[in-house]
Amino acid sequence: MADIDRKNPEQSQDSGFSRRQFVTGVGGAGLGLALGGFLVKGFLLPREVFAIPASQGYLLVDTKKCAGCASCMMACSLTHHGKTSQALSRIQITQDPFGRFPNDIQLSQCRQCPFPSCVDACPTGAMHADEKTGVRTVDESKCIGCERCVNACPFTPSRALWNFEEKHAQKCDLCEGATFWDQAGGPDGKRACEEVCPMGAIQFTDVLPEQTSTGYEKDMRTGTAWDTLGFGGAPVSLGHLG
Amino acid sequence: MASNGYMGQILKVDLTSGTFETIDTADYESWGGGHGIGSAIFFDLCEDKTVPGTDPKNVVTIMTSPLSGTLAPSVSGRTEVQAIGIQAYPIGWYTRSNFGGRFSTQLKAAGWDGIVLLGKSEKKVWLNIVNGEVKLEDAEDLWGLDTRETQEEIWAAVEPSKAGAGWVNLGQSRDAGRTTQRPAVLTIGPNAEKFGPMAALIHDAGNGAGQGGFGGVFASKNLKAVSVLGSGGVEIADPNALMEARLWANEYAFGGHHDDPAQYVGLTAFGSSPGRPLSTIQDSPAGTKSRPQGCVGCIRNCRGRTDTGRGNESQCVDFFWYDHHDVNAHGYVTEATPRAADAIQLAGVNAFAVEAATLWIERLHTQGIMGKGLEIHSDLPFERFGSAEWAEAFVNAIITQTDIGAELCKGVAQAAEAWGRLEQDTASGILPLQEYGLPHHYDARTEVEWGYGSLLGERDINEHDFNWHVYWTPTINGLFGLEPPVSAERLAEIFTKKMAPFNDPMAIDYSDEGIYSDSMAKTLAWHRYYTRFYKQSMLFCDWAWADMVNPYGPDHEGMTGEGEIKFMNAVTGNSMTFEEGIELGRRIWNLDRAIWVLQGRHRDVEKFAEYIYTTGAQPGTTTYEAPYTMPVYEDGKWSYKSVAGRILDRDKFEDFKTRYYTLEGWDPESGWPTRETLEALDLGNVADELEKAGKLGASA
Repeated sequence: MADIDRKNPEQSQDSGFSRRQFVTGVGGAGLGLALGGFLVKGFLLPREVFAIPASQGYLLVDTKKCAGCASCMMACSLTHHGKTSQALSRIQITQDPFGRFPNDIQLSQCRQCPFPSCVDACPTGAMHADEKTGVRTVDESKCIGCERCVNACPFTPSRALWNFEEKHAQKCDLCEGATFWDQAGGPDGKRACEEVCPMGAIQFTDVLPEQTSTGYEKDMRTGTAWDTLGFGGAPVSLGHLG
Repeated sequence: MASNGYMGQILKVDLTSGTFETIDTADYESWGGGHGIGSAIFFDLCEDKTVPGTDPKNVVTIMTSPLSGTLAPSVSGRTEVQAIGIQAYPIGWYTRSNFGGRFSTQLKAAGWDGIVLLGKSEKKVWLNIVNGEVKLEDAEDLWGLDTRETQEEIWAAVEPSKAGAGWVNLGQSRDAGRTTQRPAVLTIGPNAEKFGPMAALIHDAGNGAGQGGFGGVFASKNLKAVSVLGSGGVEIADPNALMEARLWANEYAFGGHHDDPAQYVGLTAFGSSPGRPLSTIQDSPAGTKSRPQGCVGCIRNCRGRTDTGRGNESQCVDFFWYDHHDVNAHGYVTEATPRAADAIQLAGVNAFAVEAATLWIERLHTQGIMGKGLEIHSDLPFERFGSAEWAEAFVNAIITQTDIGAELCKGVAQAAEAWGRLEQDTASGILPLQEYGLPHHYDARTEVEWGYGSLLGERDINEHDFNWHVYWTPTINGLFGLEPPVSAERLAEIFTKKMAPFNDPMAIDYSDEGIYSDSMAKTLAWHRYYTRFYKQSMLFCDWAWADMVNPYGPDHEGMTGEGEIKFMNAVTGNSMTFEEGIELGRRIWNLDRAIWVLQGRHRDVEKFAEYIYTTGAQPGTTTYEAPYTMPVYEDGKWSYKSVAGRILDRDKFEDFKTRYYTLEGWDPESGWPTRETLEALDLGNVADELEKAGKLGASA
């Protein structure tokens, strides 16, 4: 994800994060703000204290390894909603079939931001950090459908999305709420998208990634068997008869 | 109303009146999906099944399956198209083709299991489907555009706000649904009515329904494209079972073995590494960087996209029609190969048709028959044969009906007829049209299940269920002097186990005797049933299924028999058995047979081109054969043996046909189904229609 994908870099500076204070369970998780080289302007913004526990997990992706099959999207909706629906998936892949590699695919997963605009924007506390895991998620019973979280997400497409069928906001919860799957989710469990990805292009980490344009990208190819598959540019080919 | 796997409704479009109706999917669910439902609807709605494919009475079905748009691996992304075709010659059989990509997923997301096209529009139109909203839009300005230009115009027209790549509302209300996805568009090339028998349907960069001349059929209806965009989902009966089945299947795929993928010498299906086989990597110039790319839900991700943007999503014959000419000219693959692939994708031209035509044309030129001032005049730059310029000029000649394209635009066999060469060149085999004027693909003399299946059907089957394992893998290993990873005996054991309910131990005996045996008749029948149901109705992709031999399976045994049903039942909630699917395939096969009989099918026309009976199958004589090393059972044991050079014995093959017809319960004199056979399949109405036409087979 490139910086240019940010909807409005100035938005967070002006949006008054300090209207709401989140000082919950910082404890062992530590201040998310203090980790991972968060952008300096994040430190400078609050006029009051804004702190929530860091998420205990994050999804890294290798966009160059992604094949665009959208299996992750369908696994996400399947395990959370019991149906396969790209529109309800909390991870989104968009692509241009005529585009040039590597810019033909965008893989958009939630960053579990240490300074989550979606959480800050929520007027009811529906969008919140899970007490135990710090995962940014939605208490659907508290959601009033204002979509401020959707609009507050600084990335495109917004990682917080409006569930137009059940009428509430939702976002990646690292499968803590994947109730249609018997496996336990969350930072200590399994994530559906990671499990099904046939390319191995999604990886979980409990280390807060660097908060930069490439911090959530990881080269999962180099030094692996991938190097032998030819995607890096095959030597002279003799075609199908060669 | 949606039920498990199905969306519950099929869109019926009357292009003549410009009106829309819905068909309840439930009325046809007993056919499974895809091809089965398509044939059943065609049979009910096509008033005269003997009309040519360009007649407004022709009915086109575009169908998904209950597995489309789900997590079923290498199934989800395919769409089946059926109609009376215009490619086969002299009779354009009722036929099929299917394509991958995103179309089936978007169609179901929009709430539809399929589309049925009737009649002919007075004006040039494209069909615009956004969820439940359906419109016919003016296509006058799109008609001359290539397939990419058309899709980009439609993307912009459907969702102009998509430029921001964010969430787009599909209606006025915020609850109308949202998506980040582009519309999925199925389109024809520029003015496709003028090269109809050669014309394909194209979706995205490299997905094509190439066989049948369906591009010409669309154009005959004044239909340029169909665009679908939806925000719905597919209800799954047992989500946990589907998820667990997917993870189980991952162990049979590269995905379960990233760190240590199998080193398998040969070709295989489900267990192949991404970008393989026969894809962008080997058919791009040296140094081209790429990614694997897959259809929705794929576990294989066999195609690629490149850093040049050339050859994106193309696969196999999209490249092969030209890559060996490129290599012959240059010594290695150059940009000519991906440019040739792009040329046919953008023009919407059938790759198999140009492959056969190019082989033939090269020989005509070499023999001094075709070229400047020769018997068949052509200004094509033959001195640069193998270059991108030749390939693009050739494709351009077809779509502009200039030079030799003035005849080839009518079809390859039709051009040969016009040039007075059809009989002699299909007798010698320099024009490789194996049956019904259709391009030779795999060989009827050696890999007989492929050739027989094509002849007893209506098109080149293009089904690799046996091919990877009985031909390619032993042949490749033979070329390198290696023992195949699976012995012939073990291969026979695996196939015997998989091919329920026949389970014939001699199923893959390709010896000189075996190819005419009763066992091979059962193999032919099983393959027709398996593919008609599992691959063309449930839409398991040919590039991954059947999973017969798998490098990750126990002692190389793949998932077929267990895998297909595991996914189907998880999605639908049914408890279907594998054998029940095979039996449903037999029902569909018989319905199709009845339609062909109405069109003029008789055992007398079920004959290969002359070269199959007179000229040995030698490597490189037709399309891209290697020495044809195949499993044989001789002298009481299994082995791999080259059967290259074999011709088909005419009398033995006629006797084989008699026994095959008898196995099917068809009249061996005519090859027509009998009332007894059809009624046993609950096809009494089909028997009635055959009887009315005087084409019901005589009961034994």
